[in-house]
Amino acid sequence: MTRMAEGIEFRLTVPSLQISLGEKIALIGHSGCGKSTLLDILAMILQPTSAGAFRFRPEKEAPPIDVVKAWSQNDLNFMGDLRKHRIGYVMQTGGLLPYLTVRDNINLSRQLLGMPDDGTVEELAKNLDIARHLNKHPDLLSTGERQRVAIGRALAHHPSIVIADEPTASLDPIAARKIMALFIALAEELNITVIIASHDWKHIKQLGLRRLAHRTTQNSAGTVTETKVTG
Amino acid sequence: MRNIFKLALTDYFYEWQMSSCFVLALAAVLAPMMILFALKFGIIGSMVEQLIEDPRNREIKPVGSGHYNSEWFNSVREKPEVAFIIPRTRSLAATMQLKSNASTRIIPAELIPTAEKEPLFYKDISIPTGLHQIVLSESAAHKLKVAVGDQVDGSLNRRHDNQKERVHIKLTVVGITHLAAFARDGAFVPLDLIIATEDFLDGRAVPALGWQGDLPLESERSFPGFRLYANTIDDVAALRDGLVASGIEARTRAADIDIVQTMEKRLNAVFWFVAVIGLTGFSFSLGANLWANVDRKKKELSVLRLVGFRTSDIIWFPVLQALLTGILGWALASLIYLAVETSINRMLITQVDEDNPVCRLLPLHFEVALIFTVGAAVLAAALGGYRAAKIQPSDGLREI
Ligand SMILES: Nc1ncnc2c1ncn2[C@@H]1O[C@H](COP(=O)(O)OP(=O)(O)OP(=O)(O)O)[C@@H](O)[C@H]1O
Ligand SMILES: [Mg+2]
Repeated sequence: MTRMAEGIEFRLTVPSLQISLGEKIALIGHSGCGKSTLLDILAMILQPTSAGAFRFRPEKEAPPIDVVKAWSQNDLNFMGDLRKHRIGYVMQTGGLLPYLTVRDNINLSRQLLGMPDDGTVEELAKNLDIARHLNKHPDLLSTGERQRVAIGRALAHHPSIVIADEPTASLDPIAARKIMALFIALAEELNITVIIASHDWKHIKQLGLRRLAHRTTQNSAGTVTETKVTG
Repeated sequence: MRNIFKLALTDYFYEWQMSSCFVLALAAVLAPMMILFALKFGIIGSMVEQLIEDPRNREIKPVGSGHYNSEWFNSVREKPEVAFIIPRTRSLAATMQLKSNASTRIIPAELIPTAEKEPLFYKDISIPTGLHQIVLSESAAHKLKVAVGDQVDGSLNRRHDNQKERVHIKLTVVGITHLAAFARDGAFVPLDLIIATEDFLDGRAVPALGWQGDLPLESERSFPGFRLYANTIDDVAALRDGLVASGIEARTRAADIDIVQTMEKRLNAVFWFVAVIGLTGFSFSLGANLWANVDRKKKELSVLRLVGFRTSDIIWFPVLQALLTGILGWALASLIYLAVETSINRMLITQVDEDNPVCRLLPLHFEVALIFTVGAAVLAAALGGYRAAKIQPSDGLREI
């Protein structure tokens, strides 16, 4: 992946990366090193400049799906369908629909999949400590509360993978730790593969996540930054 | 599909202030367009209608008097351009004194020969027949204080054999014409009655009415004039030229017709000029508004994409909202228009009759406005939606 803006080039290369089902992955790096970029590619909402191979196996016995092929065909619906069933995404900020209540926001993916109202949303809200906000609109919530709503939505439809981009970055350290632990616990309970980006390893070290190795280099003129991720 | 429908509606009503602004903006441009069109349709329409409908514009009047016999009348009647022709007697011999019980006044009324297909009558006025029926002009009926069905007394006097003679005839009023048909005191009567009148005044006997006098005419009767109406205003010129070619000098309202027709053309041109500019402006303002609106929602549309909505859903979302804006805007514009229409017509009602309002639209025009508005709105929104659906979801989501 290469991104260019006003003469400054940012390049993200992933020579090889393998994430097994049920694994908990931490992507740690300083600001601007390309964490969000990688997560967007993994979530199939951003197409890399060039790709050798990207295979996605949604279930243990299922045959792998060739994402590179969908990219080359620019088949946004195909990737959308994969996300709908398999992936939950917690954005670094925002990502909620302002016109829906907290309940409907959490329920969005479930509703799209035609899943029944079986109390999952309320249960999640209770665990995330936002039950009293269920009927409010997101604009009335604090940033941290919004972030918890986003976590709720990512988990509500029981996806195979949840990708979270610094889900606790805007919270105070104590709340951040609490919510991160809760998030991991919920994911574990539902047996969901988790990929979390964070700039702070200390917070998640004790949660037992596998840390991805990466190296960021800059050329002498400072015009090209390259991040290499393997794992 | 049901999901996206619900989401689009929820968003539309959650953002009701923004949505109302769009609806208002649309109505603010559409309503004046409708008023403009209604004025042009009303004014030019009624002008043309008057022009076409006013029978006086189809009349061809002979200048001076001639000798027209029944053979001539038959030949003219057969021409396809002729709608109505009837002989006229000498105008001096076509006057009758009328009196009614309701009024003390005796008024001298011009007699106008009439028959089936009388062009000056409205459809609901019956044609007088026989020797005892008349249709009065409005002013005559007013002075005599009579209504349809009343009796009036007609009287004629002459000097015959050095004696003053006066005869009376009972006449039934079978109709009263409107003012525009005949402005003076007049009576439309069957040709037979007017011939009888002329015979009496010329000193001859009229056996059918028991009036004494000299023996009736032996030779074939000829008439000094005629009332002639063409089928349409477009036939007037040809008909007149035909008469002139056969040596009959005739007058028409050609000049008036020409003025109105030229004016209609110019007004039409002005209208279409303004309309094209207005419509272009309207389409662009509507399109730009809705396009910008989709752009504003790019982030939210990307969220929908993120949770797995399909391209068609992403396009439907703004299209449904544009559809709503289009329909509501059109409805509001129609309401504004109707209010303005009522007040314009009320303001100018003295100058126009009720059948020809200055400002009017047909249901068809409302339908066309709706289709055009919704079409333009949906097109703009669909293009915007398509663009939003084609970008990488990540690009939409990361927008600040
Ligand atoms: N649309 C874009 N066009 C050009 N460059 C971009 C674009 N988006 C991101 N970048 C660049 O890519 C690099 C990586 O960005 P990214 O958002 O992945 O960082 P990050 O690791 O998530 O940082 P943070 O911890 O602050 O969120 C940055 O240097 C940024 O300037
Ligand atoms: Mg980031």
